Amino acid sequence: MSKHHFNPYWIIAITALTAPAYAQDYLNTQQAQQVLFPEAETFMPLLVKINEQQRDDIKAISGVRQRWDIQKVWKVVQKGQHIGWFVIDDVVGKHEFITYAIGLSVDGHVVGIEIMSYRETKGDQVRNSDWRNQFKQKTIKDPFKLDQDIPNISGATLSCRNLTDGVKRILALQQVALNHEP
Amino acid sequence: MIQSTKLYMLTFIATSCINTPVHADENLFGYIKGAETLPEGTLEFDQTFTYRADKDIGEYSAWDSKSEIEYGITDRLTAATYLKMQSINTSGIAIDAYIPGAEHYYLKPSGLEAELKYNFLSPAKDDFGLAGIVSLSYDWLDKHSGLDKDQYSIETILAAQKYYLEGQMIWAGSLGMEATYAHRAPLSADRLASLPVDFDWPTHSEMEIELTAGTGITYRFIPNWFIGAEAQYQTEFETEVGTERWSLFAGPTLHYGGQDWWATVTWFQQLKGGGERYSGQTEDLHLVEKTKHELRLKFGIDF
Repeated sequence: MSKHHFNPYWIIAITALTAPAYAQDYLNTQQAQQVLFPEAETFMPLLVKINEQQRDDIKAISGVRQRWDIQKVWKVVQKGQHIGWFVIDDVVGKHEFITYAIGLSVDGHVVGIEIMSYRETKGDQVRNSDWRNQFKQKTIKDPFKLDQDIPNISGATLSCRNLTDGVKRILALQQVALNHEP
Repeated sequence: MIQSTKLYMLTFIATSCINTPVHADENLFGYIKGAETLPEGTLEFDQTFTYRADKDIGEYSAWDSKSEIEYGITDRLTAATYLKMQSINTSGIAIDAYIPGAEHYYLKPSGLEAELKYNFLSPAKDDFGLAGIVSLSYDWLDKHSGLDKDQYSIETILAAQKYYLEGQMIWAGSLGMEATYAHRAPLSADRLASLPVDFDWPTHSEMEIELTAGTGITYRFIPNWFIGAEAQYQTEFETEVGTERWSLFAGPTLHYGGQDWWATVTWFQQLKGGGERYSGQTEDLHLVEKTKHELRLKFGIDF
């Protein structure tokens, strides 16, 4: 028998001790609201609870699973008029969740998206306005396919795909759960 | 050997503490290759250490080292070159045609390898990832005995990968075939004198084909950390005797993917094995070329 008995756990412990924690937050909620709806006067917070039927409907419309039971949504008001929706969402990145904000018009167009937290090793080009602007004016009828109507960023394909799917899912959520809000 | 082990770990710790703003592509598994390639123009350094130990009787332990430089020629095509090194510590065991008694040395160069990987389908973009890998290698040291042996190999691998739960859970599977032409150096007169008169040490050229099938699944349980399991089946065919031996290894794998570097550690235990056994072997495993268990540590840094 070998005299060298190795316990793998000491390597795991060393790996854990040397693993750095990091996070990169770019915008807080208020800043993202001001960027997406600079003309708005009021953001009315809503905690939208998604029931089973709504989850099924969102999946049927967008083809994407609604992961969260509760979605953080703000009703955007200007001069007493409801002009849109502001939504904060999380999607899976390669290592951590990516937090982003999306602005929607009342008639179901994307006003814009803003990356609030991005912690991935590659692909922070998703923060570039050139890439994010590809989503502007899109509706649920658009394909939302990488390299078709949304360009892919090499090395960050999973982030690009999940953000693209996330925007489509939020457009479906608007149809299913927000358009009936008073 | 213990000193050499400490050296490896100090190197790992020192490398882990370098806090430069670099990025890394990742191997989520220790043994199973995924289907992703490096982005165009990206350069990456990967280091793999594999500890192999326990052949049932006697003492047998070895470290294999692979230092790799990878470069993304295009987004779909990655080229890599490897420098292989090994150390060995064995005594009290002799296996005909494989281990002619004791050998002991610290890490030294043992081979070179060149590899091309082409991504046919992206797991994130096409839903199912598929890549083809071809590699050529030349080794001048035998990893089993530690002695001189010229080996020329060509290996082809088909690597598949699929994301589940939007990428929080990842499956990978691979099929590979390796053909090797090998030629052992004759044993020294001193070593021959220490072995039984009927000890077999063929020095004619050999041809061997090895088939490998592997699969693994891993889940991101907290940010940056994946835990999973992988398994690998290998079977060898030799020109004269047909199927020689087969083995099934499996074990847990832990992966950390950070902003600056990634690391993966896999414990691999031989669960089943069969075929030819050596004289004196008590366990029903493939222990002629394999060991009872392996521990693999990989880390990567890109530039």
